[in-house]
Amino acid sequence: MIVAHVRGHHTRPEELDEHARASWLGKLDPRAKIVGAVVFAVATALLTRTDLILASLLLAVSFGAMSQVPYRHLVRMYLGALPFILMASVSVFLFSGLERGFDMWARTSSCVITLLVLASGTETYELFSGLRRLKVPKLVSTLLMLTYKYILILGDELARMKTARTARGFKVGRGLFDGRGFRIISYTAGMVFVRASARADNGYEGLRARGFRTDMRQMRTSRLKARDFAFMAWFACLSSLLVILQLGASQ
Amino acid sequence: MKVLEVKALSFTYEDGTPALKEIDLTIEEGEKVAVIGPNGAGKSTLLHLVAGFRTPFHGSVRVMEEGLDERTADQVRRHIGLLFQDPDDQIFMPTVEEDVAFGPVNLSLDRVEDRVARALRSTSIEDLAKRKPHRLSHGMKKRVAIAGVLAMEPSLLLLDEPTAGLDPHSRSSLIELLRNMSKTMLIATHDLEAAAEIVDRVVLLNGGVAFDGGLAELMTQDAVLEKAGLEPPQISKLFKRLRGMGYEANILPVTLDQGVAEAVRFADREKGRSRDRKT
Repeated sequence: MIVAHVRGHHTRPEELDEHARASWLGKLDPRAKIVGAVVFAVATALLTRTDLILASLLLAVSFGAMSQVPYRHLVRMYLGALPFILMASVSVFLFSGLERGFDMWARTSSCVITLLVLASGTETYELFSGLRRLKVPKLVSTLLMLTYKYILILGDELARMKTARTARGFKVGRGLFDGRGFRIISYTAGMVFVRASARADNGYEGLRARGFRTDMRQMRTSRLKARDFAFMAWFACLSSLLVILQLGASQ
Repeated sequence: MKVLEVKALSFTYEDGTPALKEIDLTIEEGEKVAVIGPNGAGKSTLLHLVAGFRTPFHGSVRVMEEGLDERTADQVRRHIGLLFQDPDDQIFMPTVEEDVAFGPVNLSLDRVEDRVARALRSTSIEDLAKRKPHRLSHGMKKRVAIAGVLAMEPSLLLLDEPTAGLDPHSRSSLIELLRNMSKTMLIATHDLEAAAEIVDRVVLLNGGVAFDGGLAELMTQDAVLEKAGLEPPQISKLFKRLRGMGYEANILPVTLDQGVAEAVRFADREKGRSRDRKT
C-alpha cells in the first residue's frame, strides 16, 4: 500500500473499512469472526489430502463470495499476498514435487482468503478490540492499534505530499531509468517518514493527555448474540468435518 | 483558589535552543487567560510543559496545588484538558462518541455515558455521536476534540491555537462556545481578536513575560506591541486612528461590542455638541 501511495496511487486506509460496513459480516461480533476464521485456517493447515484441500479452498472462496465484500477488492488483496504464497509453494514444489507444491498453494490460498475476508469484513478497530477481548496480550493489541494509527498518519502525509508534488507539475516517470522521478519519489518517502514521525509524536502526546497508559479500552462492550454463536458453530462444523475426513483417510 | 501557579519557569530544548525564561504566571479558578506572542515565543511549549510533556525544566509548576515533575506528571494531567492545535493529533477512536469517551474510560472515571452526553451537548455535536471523526470538517473535528477534553471534566483547560485553520463561521461559533464556557482556561493564540472575545487577561511572552494584564491596556502600549511584532485587532486600530482625529475613547476597544459602545458614545456626544451650537 505504501509503495503504491508513494508512486501516487492511493486508497485511504480508512476506506478499507467501507467494505466492512457493506458486508453482513460487519454486524457480527469480531470475536466470533476471529474464532471462526482461525479455527478454519488451523483445520486447513492440518489437511494433506488434495481433495480435502481443494474442498477447503472452495469453502474459503464461497465464504468470500457470500460475504458481500466486493470481489475486486478481495482479488486485489489476494494478488498482493500471492508472491508470498508462490514463494512457499515453489520451494515445496522444487523439493517435494508438483503435487505437494500445488497442495501448498491451495492450502495457503484457502487460509489467506479466509483471513482476507475476515479483515475486509471487520472494521479495523473492531478487529483489534476483538483480539483484545479474546485475551491477546494488551501490549500486542495496543501495538497493532498504534501501528494502524501510524499507517493512517503516513497515508495522510503521503496524500498531502502527493498533492504538493502534483501542484508543481511532477509526473511519475516510466520506470526505474527515470532518474529524476526516482530521486523525487525517494525524497518523498524520506520526508513522509520524517513528517509522520513528528505527527506520531504529537498523536502519542494526544493519547497521554487523555490518560492513555498501555491499554486501549472501549466505552462499551458487546455480548455475543445467537447469530455469532451460529457463525462460530458453522465454521466449527466445517472445520471438524474436514479434519475428521483427513484423519479417516490417514487410518 | 490557584488552579495554576508557575514560578521562575525556564526551559531549553534538547538542541540548546532556549524556549522559556523565568516565567511567572498564576491563574485563579474561573479565570480565562490568553498567552500571546510572536512565533517561537514558547506559547505551545508552555502549554505542553504545564501538561507534563516536557521535562525536566527549571522552576516550579503547580496545578491544583499539586507539584509537577516527571513522577507526578500522570497524576497532574488528571486535572488538565489539553486541546491540540491539530485535532487529528488528538482524535483516535473510530466514532465521535467513543473518542469523547476515550479519556474518561482511560482514567476510570464514573458515569462515562453521562459525561459523553454532556460533553457532546455542550459542544453542540450530539447529532455526530455515531459519525466517523475522520470524515468531519476541521471545525467539527475541533469540536469533537474539545468534547473529548470536556468529558474528562478537567480543572484547567489548555487550548493550543483553538481558532487556527477554521473558516469564519466555524471560528466565530467556536469563540462563542469558549466564551460561554465557565472553565478555567489558558489559551495559546496568535488570534488577538479571538482572545479579546474569550479571555479577561493576556500574558505576552517575548523572551520572558513582557506583559500581563488586560488586552485593552496592552493595545495602548505601542512599543511593547512593536517589539513583539503583534498586530492589534482591527477595531483597536480604527479607534487609534480616530484618536488621531480628536475622538478620544474612554477605553481602547478590543471587541466589536466595546467598539459599538464607544461609537454610540461618540455619536451621542456629537448630537449634544450640535444641539449646543444651535442653542
